[in-house]
Amino acid sequence: MSRRRETLLTLPSLAWMLVFFAIPAGLVVAMAFRPSDLRGGAGEGWTLETLRTVARADYLPVVWRTVWMSAATTALCVTIALPVAFHLVRVAELWRRMLLLLIIVPFLTNFIIRVFAWKSLLHPEGLLTQALVRGGVVAEDALLLNNAGAVLLVLVYTHLPFAILPLYAAAEKFEMPLLDAARDLGAGPLRALAGVWLPGVRRGIVSACIMVFVCTLGQYVIPQFVGGPQDEMLGNKITQRAFGDRNLPHASALAACLLMAVLVPMLLTALWRRARGKEAVS
Amino acid sequence: MRRSVFPALVTLLVLVFLLSPLAVLVVNSFNASRFGGQWEGFTWQWYERLREADEVWAALVVTLKIAALSSVTAMVLGTLAAYALHRHRSWLQTAHGALVTVPLVMPDLLMGMSLLAFFVSTGVELGMTTIWIAHVTFCVSFVAMVVLGRLQDFDFTLLDAARDLGAPPWEAARRVLVPLLLPGILAGGLLAFTLSIDDYVITFFVSGPGTTTLPLRVASMMKGRNLPMINALSTLMIAGTFLLAALAFRLQRGRA
Amino acid sequence: MDDFLVIEKVTKRFGAVRAVDCITLRIACGESFSLLGPSGCGKTTLLRMIAGFERPDEGRILLEGEDITTLPPERRPVNTVFQNYALFPHLSVEENIGFGLKMAGVERGEARQRVARMLELVKMQDQRAKRPAQLSGGQKQRVAIARALVNQPRVLLLDEPLAALDLKLRQHMLGELHAIHQEVGTTFIYVTHDQGEAISLSDRIAVLNAGRVEQVDTPARLYEAPGSHFVAAFVGDANFLPARVLEVRHEGYVRVACEELGNPLACTALPLSAGQQARLMVRPEKLLITRERPEAGERVNVWAGTITDVTYFGAYLRFVVQAGETALLVQMANNRFASSGTVPGRGERVYVSFHPEEARVVAADSQG
Repeated sequence: MSRRRETLLTLPSLAWMLVFFAIPAGLVVAMAFRPSDLRGGAGEGWTLETLRTVARADYLPVVWRTVWMSAATTALCVTIALPVAFHLVRVAELWRRMLLLLIIVPFLTNFIIRVFAWKSLLHPEGLLTQALVRGGVVAEDALLLNNAGAVLLVLVYTHLPFAILPLYAAAEKFEMPLLDAARDLGAGPLRALAGVWLPGVRRGIVSACIMVFVCTLGQYVIPQFVGGPQDEMLGNKITQRAFGDRNLPHASALAACLLMAVLVPMLLTALWRRARGKEAVS
Repeated sequence: MRRSVFPALVTLLVLVFLLSPLAVLVVNSFNASRFGGQWEGFTWQWYERLREADEVWAALVVTLKIAALSSVTAMVLGTLAAYALHRHRSWLQTAHGALVTVPLVMPDLLMGMSLLAFFVSTGVELGMTTIWIAHVTFCVSFVAMVVLGRLQDFDFTLLDAARDLGAPPWEAARRVLVPLLLPGILAGGLLAFTLSIDDYVITFFVSGPGTTTLPLRVASMMKGRNLPMINALSTLMIAGTFLLAALAFRLQRGRA
Repeated sequence: MDDFLVIEKVTKRFGAVRAVDCITLRIACGESFSLLGPSGCGKTTLLRMIAGFERPDEGRILLEGEDITTLPPERRPVNTVFQNYALFPHLSVEENIGFGLKMAGVERGEARQRVARMLELVKMQDQRAKRPAQLSGGQKQRVAIARALVNQPRVLLLDEPLAALDLKLRQHMLGELHAIHQEVGTTFIYVTHDQGEAISLSDRIAVLNAGRVEQVDTPARLYEAPGSHFVAAFVGDANFLPARVLEVRHEGYVRVACEELGNPLACTALPLSAGQQARLMVRPEKLLITRERPEAGERVNVWAGTITDVTYFGAYLRFVVQAGETALLVQMANNRFASSGTVPGRGERVYVSFHPEEARVVAADSQG
């Protein structure tokens, strides 16, 4: 009877996610082995031709740039988020709520609007450019938009909360008196932080890294709006193949590569955690 | 321990970094200057133009319709999922749990791409229905997580107590479980609603030629000449987000 | 009369573990009964089976002759006071107490009267509109009791009712529970791991160990005449000495050999025979410390030893006396030393004596 109830409870969401999440994800991989047809769909039969085309086309610089950009964004976000998380758990409850709200609100604000906000700030006649020119920081004709720096800046801007929130969750569980204990035992403030606090929030750091890294890997909107043609990431190529060339198998092949790039680090972390969990039990 | 001011300083700078682009956007929506490089006087003209932009309002209606439908669906599916995940331990729940949590860390692009491939292969016409399906799919996970958090705080002996006092199982659920979980379910629904309105990437993949949501409309406006109108529209949307976030915060706190 | 609630050969397994192993108990109407034992002894499982949250794998539960073994909890005339009270946080005190009456479809006016009467019984009239989160631990406890009693159950089950309270409050509630039981006269069944609680609350106690009943008796009998090493060790403090039976006398007296401590005389309820291995049990407060050797008559056992430790507890003192290889725990009331003037100190040579009827010989085999 409990068995039947479990099935009834589980079925709706399980079926939905199976049909609209798992199967489509598998389909993308399968479609990479399909020939393309001219109407933008997948043709009959199976082929390795699509994968060969993908390998032949010079994607390597794009892949390299995607990974590099994602890694840089991850490093920057986590580095900035660590002191924020540390500060958040130190302040009084009321302040903490308010600060969290202030961090979450831009996070919930429409993504496209946030991109637009930066596009207009960085625009040659936008506020930031104008201010920097007036301040003599950059030359009159400097172009802040359409370069890798702008892409990185907006990537960090949009993904910072992804780093702050898991780090804060981990920092909240950390027992702050441990730091006092470390100081009491003779560790300097930095030693105490590096030796006690950082290992204490390790899980949060791993979560934050994965969240930011995985999300930036799949970015295409930011390079499209604030980057130049030389700043394109893998995501841009996928949309171009899917909508520009109407070559769904080709786009799928690229997406399948991306999917692997996303799943592998996640799987590794899951295994790592399981191993650590077992270690802790025994 | 002496308190270092460094973390506080970084936090302050982060807040300035996070909030000032939005603040500039809001201020510039009243700025007569086209690019907002400097203040050229107060104006309502961008709002007036926005009022006359019928295609924006049409997109808003589509967006709200989809957000309402998908958040309600996600609320039902997410709540059931959370309850099953919390109450049962089995291989079925391990698989179920993976299916519910993996979308949280799946890049939007991949979800959009795979749903597009799915709809094209099955011959489903792209439009309102496909957007609704896509939005429900990524919202279920968020609702499930919020409700799961609430369930972890729920003391299941309360259900025993209700049974002990003469309530049959369904009556116990109706009088004890549902009222105590409701704030969590609503907060999850609200989050789903916000996420649905917000989504650009996935919608971009699964929308048909006839259905344009607000983020899609904004993106196409960004390529055009009507930039200050986006400022005005953004200001209204930020205000809306603020209200929703405050409401969700209230609901979350309602546990005490 | 003794067959009001009958638990008949009830067994409950969780996987390979027999949480409750063929337990039989008979509880009388209006009795205050305790299930006492360490955690994992099966007492909570047994309580949950009486309440209806678990179904026995074997055996029956009869209430007033009616088989209630398979009845769901909502259809049993039994109510529970849960360990952490399980008050509904979204309902007021009044609504919490009225919940069961609402479920039973009691007419509204009558329900309000009964709730009011209960509020009065537990002295919570002024808190009726509050939410559980606004109440103190002791107040929550009273609401939980009122919420259960208002349904006029045939049996009230109390699961570790005092465990969540601090020491002072626990002593106070102990008195109140006693008073409430006197007033309503319902059969109370307590589950507790605290022997002090069980002793002061109940008419009879069942001591449980590893899913089985060790002994069912009145608190005084359990304390004074424990049947096993486990019961003696679990109920109160005790000194145990390995002993070999030398001679069994009339009226339950036995003489045992306690290695270097000689051959004291003690009591037993067990059918012992000479040569058998057993244990001698003496409670710390039954031992008497004196500086001079007491007159050793036939019925007095005397050991000589050295005090190695003294701890002051206010109303009483605790000594550790080393007698040969054995460290004896002795507890003496403070006023016992009023006449002699000084309390014996560490390192002092003293005599420890006790009457035979204050020592018990218990079986050696049952572990503790």
